[in-house]
Amino acid sequence: MSQARKQLAIGDALAQVGAAGLFLFSILAAIPGSLRHVRETLRQIWFVGAMSLVIIMTCGLFVGMVLSLQLYYTLAKFGGTAALGTVVALSLFRELGPVVTALLFAGRAGTSITAEIGLMRATDQLSAMEMMAVDPLAYVVAPRFIAGVVAMPLLACIFNALGILGAHAVGVSWLGLDNGTFWGNMTANVEVWSDLVNGVWKSAAFGAVVALIATFQGYTTPPTSEGVAYATTRTVVSSSITVLALDFVMTAFLM
Amino acid sequence: MNARPDHNPDQPPATDSPAYVRVRGVRTVLGGKTIFDGLDLDIPRGKITAVMGPSGTGKTTLLRHITGQLPVDAGEIRVDGRNLAELSRNQLFELRETIGYLFQNSALLTDFSVFENVAFPLRQHLRLPEEIVRNIVLTRLQAVGLRGAAELMPAELSGGMARRVALARAIVRDPGLMIYDEPFVGLDPIALNQVLKLIRTLNDTLGITSVLVAHEFAAVRRAADWVYLIAGGKVAAQGHPEELAERDSPWTRQFFGGEADGPVPFQYPARDYAADLGFQAGGA
Ligand SMILES: Nc1ncnc2c1ncn2[C@@H]1O[C@H](COP(=O)(O)OP(=O)(O)OP(=O)(O)O)[C@@H](O)[C@H]1O
Ligand SMILES: [Mg+2]
Repeated sequence: MSQARKQLAIGDALAQVGAAGLFLFSILAAIPGSLRHVRETLRQIWFVGAMSLVIIMTCGLFVGMVLSLQLYYTLAKFGGTAALGTVVALSLFRELGPVVTALLFAGRAGTSITAEIGLMRATDQLSAMEMMAVDPLAYVVAPRFIAGVVAMPLLACIFNALGILGAHAVGVSWLGLDNGTFWGNMTANVEVWSDLVNGVWKSAAFGAVVALIATFQGYTTPPTSEGVAYATTRTVVSSSITVLALDFVMTAFLM
Repeated sequence: MNARPDHNPDQPPATDSPAYVRVRGVRTVLGGKTIFDGLDLDIPRGKITAVMGPSGTGKTTLLRHITGQLPVDAGEIRVDGRNLAELSRNQLFELRETIGYLFQNSALLTDFSVFENVAFPLRQHLRLPEEIVRNIVLTRLQAVGLRGAAELMPAELSGGMARRVALARAIVRDPGLMIYDEPFVGLDPIALNQVLKLIRTLNDTLGITSVLVAHEFAAVRRAADWVYLIAGGKVAAQGHPEELAERDSPWTRQFFGGEADGPVPFQYPARDYAADLGFQAGGA
């Protein structure tokens, strides 16, 4: 890439960030109007949540199992395998639960939101709503945004629960750790507020980020099939980068 | 709206004009291309006005201006006495509740059945008992001959059926202004005749003002009270359809006679044909 094109690409990316920021304000402004469409919002929460449930549960289980294996191996070096439950729970609640759920959510629900809104744009459905005096920001975008913010923490909690179960299966049933030690150590050391609730905040923020990017990409896509395809890809790429960057910032502040 | 405090006594006060839509001096540039340059036209109240013109001349763009979907670069558009440029988003939405718009590509909501598509404007704006919604929707579907298709999804419709569903949806709230963007495209002669009659009936019995964009002059002739022929960014000719067809101007001769050569270029502006095909000027 030549210098000029590199600068152009960076300028483009910055312009996108700015436009997405403005889009966030228009979504927030449309939320009061979307209260009229409560049913649509509930439908989206159900839809977005149910859509991602299977993949979240499966991945949660496997992540918990792998985590258990790896940490057991590490802890055994220090003779601290009794702490396995605690370490697994802390890693999941504070970090892996919110982040991995957000990445999966972007791939599963985010892409589908982008493609759906993009196709509505391409087939004039959004203009048709405007012509029927229905604000597409309030009827289409805001419900999906709210759905992302509400569904993500729930999904992250499910991910965590399945992760712990997976860790328990490996640690206790397979590697032979004592069941009482596993749970006892965990409940003694994991704080509800500083560990669990922090993770919930994080995942709500990630849900907002993924839903914002997904709706923004769909809403502003060029009305062609290529445009929609490209926007879908961009949703995954931008959400992943933003989630990981935001994760660092939030962790630094929430520690 | 008429009683402006800064009214200039030297000019006659704006009277309640019979025009439902008034377009004055509109200039539009899209993607570097001038679409309109000084477009003036009136859509008279209670009449069917046809807008014709070559493909790509800006008919859909004009309809998007009239409904406030696309702002003009210069000039003024008044709909029912209100200047679109001065309306807030809420006022624009209020105005749109009185406008029925048939999209060129139907634009049905793919998530909803035919019935729910037609019911959508009712459900969004009025709290009507389910029974009444059902009655209104079914009468509209009956009028376009698709009552039996109420439970189908848009993906299960043919293009012509989708257009008729879109038509039923556009008229479901008894609009004061109906805008049809190519309602006859993809219709077989029977459906075309029915839709034509429907447009006429809506106009005759309910007094709906209609704007009709269409290419089928035979149909326009039977429906429209007035025809605007738009070409080159302006109104190239206007008149009663019968009279316009007879008129001997280069525009009308070419447009209604279907000749490729004339004031309306058939070709989209392009490089020299021979050069584009790789031949040297003068030939080898
Ligand atoms: N968003 C846009 N950006 C740039 N140019 C546009 C845009 N929309 C329309 N145009 C151009 O404006 C012109 C008029 O388009 P419009 O859709 O109004 O034509 P039309 O008269 O409705 O044609 P048709 O009879 O084929 O439907 C076309 O030349 C088109 O290329
Ligand atoms: Mg058109």
